[in-house]
Amino acid sequence: MSTIGEFISYIQALGPAKFLRVFWFFVIFEFFRYFLLDLVGLILHRVSLWVNRKKWKRASEQLKKENPLVSIIVPGKNEGKHIFKLVKSLSEQTYQNYELIIIDDGSDDNTPIICKSLLKNGLIDQFYRNDVRGGKASAANLGLRFTKGKFIIHLDADCSYDNDAVEKIILPFYYDKDIGGVGGNVMVRNYKESLVTTLQAVEYFNSVGIGRIVTSQFGIYRIISGAFGAFRADVMDKIQGWDIGPGLDGDITVKIRKSGYKIHFAPEAVCLTSVPNTFKKLAKQRYRWDKSLIRFRLRKHKDVLFPNQGFSLINFISFFENILYNLILNFKWYFYAIDLVINFPDLLVHIMLTNLFLYTTMGYIKLILFGWFRTRSNAPNYYFLPYIPLMVIYFGYFLRFVRTRAYFMELFFKASYNDPWNPLKTSVHAKEKGL
Amino acid sequence: MKNVNTEISTSKENDRVIEYAGLSFYIIYNTDSLKTDDIVFYDAVIIQAGDPEFTRHIITRIRGHFNPEHYLKPVLLLNQSSLKDPYINLIDGTLYSLEQIKLILPSVQNILLRIKDLTFTSSLSYEALIIQKTISFMYSRNIDKMKPNVDFNSGIGYNYPILSVNFSRKEEHQVLNIIKTMTEEKLITKEFHDSVYLCNNCTSGYMSYREVCPKCNSSNAVSQDIVHHFPCSYVGPIEDFKNQIDDELNCPKCNKTLRHIGVDYDKPSIVNDCLSCGHRYQDFNVKAKCMNCQFDNEVEELKKSTINVISITKKGQVMAVNGYVTTSRDLQEIKGTVKLDTFTTMLKYEVERLKQTDGKSNLAVLHLKNSGEAYSKMTTDLQKTMLNFLIQDIRKNIPTSSIITFYSSSTILISLNDLPLKIAKRLTQDIVDLMTALIETNFKDMVVSIDHSVKPVSNKLSGELQIQQLVKDYF
Ligand SMILES: [Zn+2]
Ligand SMILES: [Zn+2]
Ligand SMILES: [Zn+2]
Repeated sequence: MSTIGEFISYIQALGPAKFLRVFWFFVIFEFFRYFLLDLVGLILHRVSLWVNRKKWKRASEQLKKENPLVSIIVPGKNEGKHIFKLVKSLSEQTYQNYELIIIDDGSDDNTPIICKSLLKNGLIDQFYRNDVRGGKASAANLGLRFTKGKFIIHLDADCSYDNDAVEKIILPFYYDKDIGGVGGNVMVRNYKESLVTTLQAVEYFNSVGIGRIVTSQFGIYRIISGAFGAFRADVMDKIQGWDIGPGLDGDITVKIRKSGYKIHFAPEAVCLTSVPNTFKKLAKQRYRWDKSLIRFRLRKHKDVLFPNQGFSLINFISFFENILYNLILNFKWYFYAIDLVINFPDLLVHIMLTNLFLYTTMGYIKLILFGWFRTRSNAPNYYFLPYIPLMVIYFGYFLRFVRTRAYFMELFFKASYNDPWNPLKTSVHAKEKGL
Repeated sequence: MKNVNTEISTSKENDRVIEYAGLSFYIIYNTDSLKTDDIVFYDAVIIQAGDPEFTRHIITRIRGHFNPEHYLKPVLLLNQSSLKDPYINLIDGTLYSLEQIKLILPSVQNILLRIKDLTFTSSLSYEALIIQKTISFMYSRNIDKMKPNVDFNSGIGYNYPILSVNFSRKEEHQVLNIIKTMTEEKLITKEFHDSVYLCNNCTSGYMSYREVCPKCNSSNAVSQDIVHHFPCSYVGPIEDFKNQIDDELNCPKCNKTLRHIGVDYDKPSIVNDCLSCGHRYQDFNVKAKCMNCQFDNEVEELKKSTINVISITKKGQVMAVNGYVTTSRDLQEIKGTVKLDTFTTMLKYEVERLKQTDGKSNLAVLHLKNSGEAYSKMTTDLQKTMLNFLIQDIRKNIPTSSIITFYSSSTILISLNDLPLKIAKRLTQDIVDLMTALIETNFKDMVVSIDHSVKPVSNKLSGELQIQQLVKDYF
């Protein structure tokens, strides 16, 4: 009981200088970057939509008038069971001038049988199968090679899409001729399945639903989700498709940026995905994703960070922001923790409780305030209310430790090249070339 | 009575008729017309078989006829050299000179003798007619087993002696239906020989199987390998990697030269380009184009039919001798009766019912001994009318709860439920009197012979067994 009394008096005694000294990590990281900057970005986005409303309307008319062929490519392994549902969901789309190309990357289940039957019945337009797995990039590239459309949409077979998702993801190409790629808004379909899926739903809401509107608004949006992305066919031709992954979504986005095109986020192009339903599976997924930050930002595309011929300030900022907030501050947190242990050993409990309080309060403010900016949601906001306090542990500890391990393993051991996600035959070449 | 000639001699009235051992052999020359009507006046036919085409025509005319005087006639070939299956199965012997008649005489005599055993009736249906013809032919030639022969000219790829000859190439699949019926009627047993796939449109067995474009069905296509370059993940048809200068393969994405399959690249699949419609695809469609009607069949939808070797059963032989009138399908069309299957099932329930109650039920059988003779005097339509008439009359005499079925065209089973045996016997006798009267008024010179028997239904034996016991004396 006395600890709570002490804690309250501790809070009361905190002056602004002292607060900054102890909670600087919260202030720069959470408050400044993920609240203030996001809020500004969201407001600017709203203003921009209103200012350019006529331009958006013209874009929409232009799209309807031209009605271009859109090629939807769906690469995957053992995804047969999802394909029929996908086909049905696409047939509900408001935009119907599309061709559907499925690429089976060496499935060892009944996927080829299912797909061949769908092909025969005209439910998919093209189907290609590689008997031996070549990896996600090669499967996507095979599909890409045979597309006929003006725009390419890359989908994941196990996702589902809003009825106007295709239309909404193509639209930005008609708004701005410099846009080379558009990312869709990925939401969590199975948010009710388990605690870990609910927490991910909150995370996606912040980092995708809000975060990408903001980065897109500032011109530094940097990852088009593999689950739902659209590309100009001529741009894809120029950059010659996907390079070997993992992390090929982020990689292709960088490649488009480097060839001088803009990347846009389409919040209204909604895609629902099923996220990992256990902490173990989630850790595995994030371990893979996080390694690619090192591999692609610091290795393959490190030229973006140096002034050279093709230097672009906006690309530099996009990279720098990513590296600062993910890599540097991630390691900085450990300095922060050590600093506290050394300098404020007596107050550790109080500081932790205060941090918990600060992050939770921020979480509630964001949920309510940012929820206000959402035009489409897949779950009612109140559903997440009881889970906000847990986000501190989920985000501040669980994801942080996974990320740290990933960065460490990739920086020192190039672990991503050993990921069985890619067939060995391709990984050896990527490692050799430092790709 | 004619003189029995012990030497082969030409008939005095007709120089194309040879007489020997009391038999007359009619010679058909290959310069003759194709008419064969006269053969009914002679015991056997000899075809001068120099011209195979002509010979086939004549054999088809004789064996394809619907009159037993034609289709059962012993046929011999003279100087046959080039005739191959399946016609060889429709003749009764070959001669190199007329002198050889002496050698072949016993078998001809045997055929003629066996034909005398047979009863010919007009059949209730075309199907029944062909069945009668088949079992008569097999009986008269003493053939137990009949094997189908691969035949290019057959519509189903296999020729069944005596069966196939009745159908045009287009209709030949009917043979398989008839064999099915004969098996169901237990006239024959069958054993597997081969499978054939028949056109869905016309049931012909002649098809050309080709790999075609799934979109336009054209078989005009080129195939090429898909190449995957590992270092850059480029994947595309091999044409993307070719250049005009040399034979090297260069990656269009990273410009590297492909070195070593399995190390820096592989060929994970192939792709086909249709030269007719431009469609690009990996999997061909296999289609079976019918060489008869040109219909392009999906192979998965082709009808699979079994070709069987058939053997005549004891019942088949008995039916040939007694005269085969009808299939059970024909009899099902007679009003007031049920199928034998249904009858058996209902009897089974009756046996079950008797186990629970003290009821008394009876099973009666009526068998017309010389039905072949009776039927042979009636046209098909008249037979149907008569049977309908008969059943209606029987029904008038028995309680409405009774059930009637045809066990065969000459045997009627009646289940007389909830009656004392004495009354059931009296009712059955009434029916016999009625039938006798009906036949005698319609067929003046015919001696009617109807066997009958009535037994109480036992609740200790199965219905099927009780039927077997009741009819066993008649088969
Ligand atoms: Zn046909
Ligand atoms: Zn290459
Ligand atoms: Zn074609």
